[in-house]
Amino acid sequence: MALLEVKDLRTSFRTDDGIVKAVDGVNFTVEKGQTLGIVGESGCGKSVTNLTIMGLNPRQNTVSSGQALWKGDDLLRMKPRELRDIRGNDISMIFQDPMTSLNPVHSIGKQLVEAIQLHRDVTKRVARARALELLKAVGIPRAEARIDDYPHQFSGGMRQRVMIAMALINDPDLLIADEPTTALDVTTQAQILSLMKRLQEDFGSAIILVTHDLGVIAEIADDVLVMYAAQVVEQAEVHDLFNRPQHPYTWGLMGSLPRLDADVERLTQIPGQPPSLLRPPSGCRFHPRCPYVMEVCKTKVPALVPTQKDPDHLQACHLDEDTKDREAAKLIAETMAGAT
Amino acid sequence: MATNSRPPEGAGDELLVVDDVKKHFPITRGIIFQKEIASVKAVDGVSFSIKAGETLGIVGESGCGKSTLARCITRLLDPTAGRIFFEGREITKLSRPHMRPIRRDMTMIFQDPYASLNPRKRVGFIIAEPLEIHGLGTAAEIKLRVQELLEVVGLNPEHYNRFPHEFSGGQRQRIGVARALAVNPKLIVCDEPVSALDVSVQAQILNLLKDLQEDFGLTYVFIAHDLNVVRHISDRVMVMYLGKVAEIATREVLYREPKHPYTGALLSAVPIANPELGRARRPIVLEGDVPSPVNPPSACRFHPRCPRFQEGHCDVEEPPLYPFGDGQVASCHYPLERWPMDADEMRRPSQQARELAHSS
Amino acid sequence: MFRYLVRRILWAILLFVVITFVTFVIFFMAPENPGRAVCGGERARPQCIAQATEQLGLNDPIPVQYGKFLKRLVVDRSLGNSYITEQPVNDVIKDAAPVTASLVFGGAVLWLMIGLIVGIFSALKPRSLIDRIAMVGVLIGVSAHPVWIGLIFSYFLGFKWHVTPIAGYADFFNPSEGLPGGPWQWFYHMILPWCTFAILFAALYVRMIRANVMETMNEDYIRTARAKGAPERTVLRSHVLRNALLPVVTMLGMDIGIALGGAIFTEGVYSLPGLGRTVIQAVTDQDLAVVQGVVVFSTLCIITFNLLVDLLYAWIDPRIRLS
Repeated sequence: MALLEVKDLRTSFRTDDGIVKAVDGVNFTVEKGQTLGIVGESGCGKSVTNLTIMGLNPRQNTVSSGQALWKGDDLLRMKPRELRDIRGNDISMIFQDPMTSLNPVHSIGKQLVEAIQLHRDVTKRVARARALELLKAVGIPRAEARIDDYPHQFSGGMRQRVMIAMALINDPDLLIADEPTTALDVTTQAQILSLMKRLQEDFGSAIILVTHDLGVIAEIADDVLVMYAAQVVEQAEVHDLFNRPQHPYTWGLMGSLPRLDADVERLTQIPGQPPSLLRPPSGCRFHPRCPYVMEVCKTKVPALVPTQKDPDHLQACHLDEDTKDREAAKLIAETMAGAT
Repeated sequence: MATNSRPPEGAGDELLVVDDVKKHFPITRGIIFQKEIASVKAVDGVSFSIKAGETLGIVGESGCGKSTLARCITRLLDPTAGRIFFEGREITKLSRPHMRPIRRDMTMIFQDPYASLNPRKRVGFIIAEPLEIHGLGTAAEIKLRVQELLEVVGLNPEHYNRFPHEFSGGQRQRIGVARALAVNPKLIVCDEPVSALDVSVQAQILNLLKDLQEDFGLTYVFIAHDLNVVRHISDRVMVMYLGKVAEIATREVLYREPKHPYTGALLSAVPIANPELGRARRPIVLEGDVPSPVNPPSACRFHPRCPRFQEGHCDVEEPPLYPFGDGQVASCHYPLERWPMDADEMRRPSQQARELAHSS
Repeated sequence: MFRYLVRRILWAILLFVVITFVTFVIFFMAPENPGRAVCGGERARPQCIAQATEQLGLNDPIPVQYGKFLKRLVVDRSLGNSYITEQPVNDVIKDAAPVTASLVFGGAVLWLMIGLIVGIFSALKPRSLIDRIAMVGVLIGVSAHPVWIGLIFSYFLGFKWHVTPIAGYADFFNPSEGLPGGPWQWFYHMILPWCTFAILFAALYVRMIRANVMETMNEDYIRTARAKGAPERTVLRSHVLRNALLPVVTMLGMDIGIALGGAIFTEGVYSLPGLGRTVIQAVTDQDLAVVQGVVVFSTLCIITFNLLVDLLYAWIDPRIRLS
């Protein structure tokens, strides 16, 4: 049985301007030990998807539907108490901004101990020992001295390590990481990603990694979901995605990346900007910006279906597969031109 | 001591020359009277020059001083020491009225498209303001020019009367570009202009900047922390670390044959959007955090984290910017002999490395 | 932290010196000759005035007068004698201060309780009916003048419905002959003054606490706490309130000082023999020694209190304690 099965997940927010459909029909599964990457730009719904699964959306003015089956039980329909038992215990989450994600008036030791004592019936001394163990595992130097320090006494990279320690302290089966390295420097990012990979091996947890950076996806994900305007437009194993991307938005994303390993004169730009989720475009949501738009795209919503050549590779586009393969090959040739 | 107001030797026809610029922010202590006990050495001796028409990318991580340097160049901050020459004329200590005409030739684009535009002013006013300050035309002429600029940056000239909040992030950044372009400058200092934008929008702005450079013969100082972006747009690249220059080279050479271990670590840390390549390599992961600019390490700033650190040398003698031909300079006693290199190879500099530095 | 402490204390001392000096200058530069006031004001005879002036040391140069004043204050810890009754001002204050203190501190406890309960509750259920009622209450509390409120309360609750005394004070410890006394009477007499006094501040604190709690609820670390699986009551107690209420400490320090001024009105309405009423009487009688004494004493109290509050704040916020 899959660890997590998400079926037709939808979340809407009621705002003063109307109803915003932040997540509009998302499906995926996560297996034990797997790393699923979710990539997309701001507003595509990647973060809200995970907040919905964890039940962390604001209670007022939010409507969610669909299913999020955790080992068979639907998280969306659980009683609050049951859901709280799972949060921080079986499923943990870390967030983007380490500077504001820790309570400034409690020492990190206290926050780590709290994470343990919420789910395990142990004494403070035992909990503290475990906290120390985790701090060392994530590479905090002089952990014994620093366990009683406050968040403001740590740098951004160190704080993110503390967050990771806090998330892994109860041996969760799934770790959801929402843009964990976006706010960090590139060398710090390399440290944190390398740490996460190592810990995944040691602890055996599955990871859902949300990011806007295709490079991070390429480094660490096993499978990838590409999201646009609250929907999944492409889903594939990571090598398949980069070798045979099948959706014009994915092509646009890949083409617009300046690269270290290739020389491109002019970046592919996707014209316009992401659509409003108050009144999304009819038919395929990408059609106003798509260079390959056809009449059918404006009226008929493309379903997320497997490609002919590879049933595990899903895509939502009306273009025929041969055209897609051709365009994909062209894109790869262009972006790989002059590769070292 | 009389100031020598001529650019240093060999400067030639550079548009901008920066000579050993330092910017220190004092830290004071004291109960009643504040005494300076230390300083944040944000920029601690940076020198470089730019020719007209080229783009110099400045790259580095947080705390390296690149934004502070940008502000010193445009005199938004006054350098603590050093000299800056623009078109052969020293501008380091010019008073505000004397700087004003220079500000027609040197403008700036900022990072945060949401904070760099006055939310209470209409877009037309924002772009027109530099023209009005410098008295470049009548009201009617200015209005025409603003509409022209809106078109040039890809916006609808009829949106002249809208407010910033009616535009998206990418569009606001275009407004910032139009504003910088209004006075027909020679040099534009871009301080992380695409860092706050989504990838697809980033591409639009980068293409726009490149097109404008061709059309109007602009020179750019382009500051970023994203090595991919810097590589795309720069002719030459300067890598900064803790307030000092680690390496300067042309784009091709820097990314193909970096000499400074920090450059190597940076290049190695950037994730590559190609799963096969990305996972095949073993990245060089640096230990620890960037040290504080208040108390930088002695001699070579990078020595506590450097895989090639040689005790007794790197922590005692500060490496100058050794030249390596083709304009490439790097401040390292044991530059990288070749590239790519993994962490183990980095740790063992060969005799060749030492000679490489000292022979040139 | 240590430097912060030392700096704060030095500032407090400096402030005290400056204020006493300014007070001194104002009173002794006043057009009315204190000597004349002592001798009965309008009907003062020139001999008496001359004698009084000499006795009060008013012929000395100002700095000398100030020096003597300061010396008397610091060394003898005396505020001089009343011009009218010849009683030591220290005694006058000793009698009146506890009354004002009862009013101000009791009122502060009341307004804090209301502020916390209503403020937190409104913040947890924004835009609900209770929240909206609370906000209307806040508007009334902020707009209505304490004197008006006091008179309305006094009239209805005291006079018409006999729920509380109309006015007057009952000494907690040593009641005088024929007057009510003891703890219960004290409490009974103070209820109305406390309510009157606290309404304005309660309204302000409800608004501020509500805003702080609402803002804190949106912080990232609250989301982290929930993601850890903490139940709402833990999130509220340990994470939200601990942060949201920090600014309340500072505000309290400032507001006690302001409240002291507001106490004058309340004391007037309810005839409480506190510092407020004392000083108004003294101004009317032109008893400058008492006026000055009350000003100096109040200033000292406010400065000390603010200092203590600042030190407390520096202690409970680790970001300041450990910098």
